Amino acid sequence: MNYVGYINKLMREKLKQTPDTVCFGQNISTGSCLSGLTRGLPEGDGNLVVNTTNSECTLTGAGFGLLAEGVNAVFFLKQQDFLLLGIDHLVHTWNAMRAQGFKGSFTIMAIVVDNGYEGPQSCLNNLADFCSISKIPGYSFSNKEDIDAIVNDQFLEPGVRFIAVSQSLFRSEMGLFEGGGEVVDPTNHIRKYGSGDDVTIVSLNFACSQSQELFGNLQADQINSSLFNVSSMMPDSWGSIFNHAARSKRVVICDDSKSVHKQSAHLASLIKAHVEGCDVLVLDRSYQEEWSFPNADQFVIEPSSVKKWCKA
Amino acid sequence: MADQSMENKDSNYKTDIACELLRMRLTQAIINEHYKNKAFKVPIHLAFGHEAIAIAVSEMMSDDDRLIVSHRNIHYNMARGAQLRQLMDEYLLKPEGLAGGKQGSMNLSNPERGIPYASSILGNNFGVAVGAALAIKAKKQEAVACVVTGDGAMEEGSFYEALLMFSGQRMPSVIIIENNEWSLASTIEERRAEIDVKSLAQGTGAGYVRLTGNNVFDYIDKMQAVRSEALKDKKCIVVEVILKSLGDWRLKTDDFPDGKFINYHAGPAPTIELEDWPVIHDNEWDPLAVLSKLPQSIDLKQKAVEMKAALLGAIT
Repeated sequence: MNYVGYINKLMREKLKQTPDTVCFGQNISTGSCLSGLTRGLPEGDGNLVVNTTNSECTLTGAGFGLLAEGVNAVFFLKQQDFLLLGIDHLVHTWNAMRAQGFKGSFTIMAIVVDNGYEGPQSCLNNLADFCSISKIPGYSFSNKEDIDAIVNDQFLEPGVRFIAVSQSLFRSEMGLFEGGGEVVDPTNHIRKYGSGDDVTIVSLNFACSQSQELFGNLQADQINSSLFNVSSMMPDSWGSIFNHAARSKRVVICDDSKSVHKQSAHLASLIKAHVEGCDVLVLDRSYQEEWSFPNADQFVIEPSSVKKWCKA
Repeated sequence: MADQSMENKDSNYKTDIACELLRMRLTQAIINEHYKNKAFKVPIHLAFGHEAIAIAVSEMMSDDDRLIVSHRNIHYNMARGAQLRQLMDEYLLKPEGLAGGKQGSMNLSNPERGIPYASSILGNNFGVAVGAALAIKAKKQEAVACVVTGDGAMEEGSFYEALLMFSGQRMPSVIIIENNEWSLASTIEERRAEIDVKSLAQGTGAGYVRLTGNNVFDYIDKMQAVRSEALKDKKCIVVEVILKSLGDWRLKTDDFPDGKFINYHAGPAPTIELEDWPVIHDNEWDPLAVLSKLPQSIDLKQKAVEMKAALLGAIT
């Protein structure tokens, strides 16, 4: 089963067990149903599936309105960029509501396109930006274990959260690190793969597949690493990464986000402050004029330069 | 909720409504006096002149109806039962306030009385109202989602989005536009083209009702009819209420020796005095003036004196 099929299957199973849920968004029950993401969402038992107008501002507000009513709301967006039109609600409406203790649930599930050929309208790929300004937690689906954990622990649960789905992974099979992760943080959102102590690799946003490739490349060159995949945009604790970094003294942070202020820069400064004598290499993307035009941009890690840095 | 036209209402009901309008006016006048004395740190948008529509909306509502309001919400909170002491404490951010001193004025909601949300951002409350309407649909309730806006906030794109959602999903709903002509310091003429709200509403399949004259009894009748139609036809109805936010004054400057007209928007209204008979303008723009010209079973002026004393006693 591929990535999008697996997400769809898990969501449908949980929706069937959860009455009084309203799923809404554009094209969620027509055409390809967002490339299969929203196909066959269950109705009945108080569950509604509403194929909506193109009104992201109002739809974001509607999710908060449903939350205030004690209803579970899920807003699907074909592209994370479209959520910019709902920023007012993410910041102001939630600020006004968060202290009132509403029992409903609001999940915003957006597809991160991050395809250079789609030009500037798909260049917003960093979920952490939304999390930062709204103070709403966010999670990325990078592999099967993340999907299992986030659907079980977050999807339809009381409160508000973002979940980001990667379009580039839609047709990929679910073999990515399947079954090998060890949960290393109390909130179940950082997983450690491998057991090498030569290098600490940290994967942020949607850099999991590139990080896994780097992990394999280093291993082939007898550089044994451990990879920490972070599915939360605002982890409660970086302690497990600090502890490993204290042993390896070398941390490679892989961050595919296109923002100016990045989670990777924040983490790098924290590691330098908390782990004595640790070298940190940040592999990220710097702003390119080309991002404003259709282009071949994608996040690529050159393993030879990392190997060289490791051996220096 | 009242369920018959005003013609058939007994005089006790009409007296209750008259007293409610008087209470709302005097409550605001007392808050205004404290405001003039700089008692509040939070900004408050008073609603002198808006009382009739607020009472009519509250009388229209059933227990399951939802009312989503805006930054100018004191009149709706009062119409839904908020008392002077609760409002004062809320504006003073005391734990005894209507929302525990956590919301102040512009976001003041009261979910237990059908006001789940109040927005301080123009156009922000439309989306939340759409969510309330979707919840009514999901819960299969016989209820209406109402949202209050103004002639300024309806310029936001979210007004159109919500209108489409309400109509497209056939959700019983009422959009109340309080058209006071002003958006802060700009008149409609100074900031935009005239909007034909009737055509705009009807163009999306919504109904349209225009209210003028500030007769609270007339407004109650018409809002009850609006609710019935919204429920029966599963539709959105846009109600445009023509009113004025009373409390304007003239500011004398070198450029304006005779005084420049200042529209009341927020803050204390310097020309409104608690000591006066609470009619502010003796014309159709003042709901209390309109009420006082109707046949009464009580002496409104005497009632105002007694009520003022009682209200002041409640906060001392």
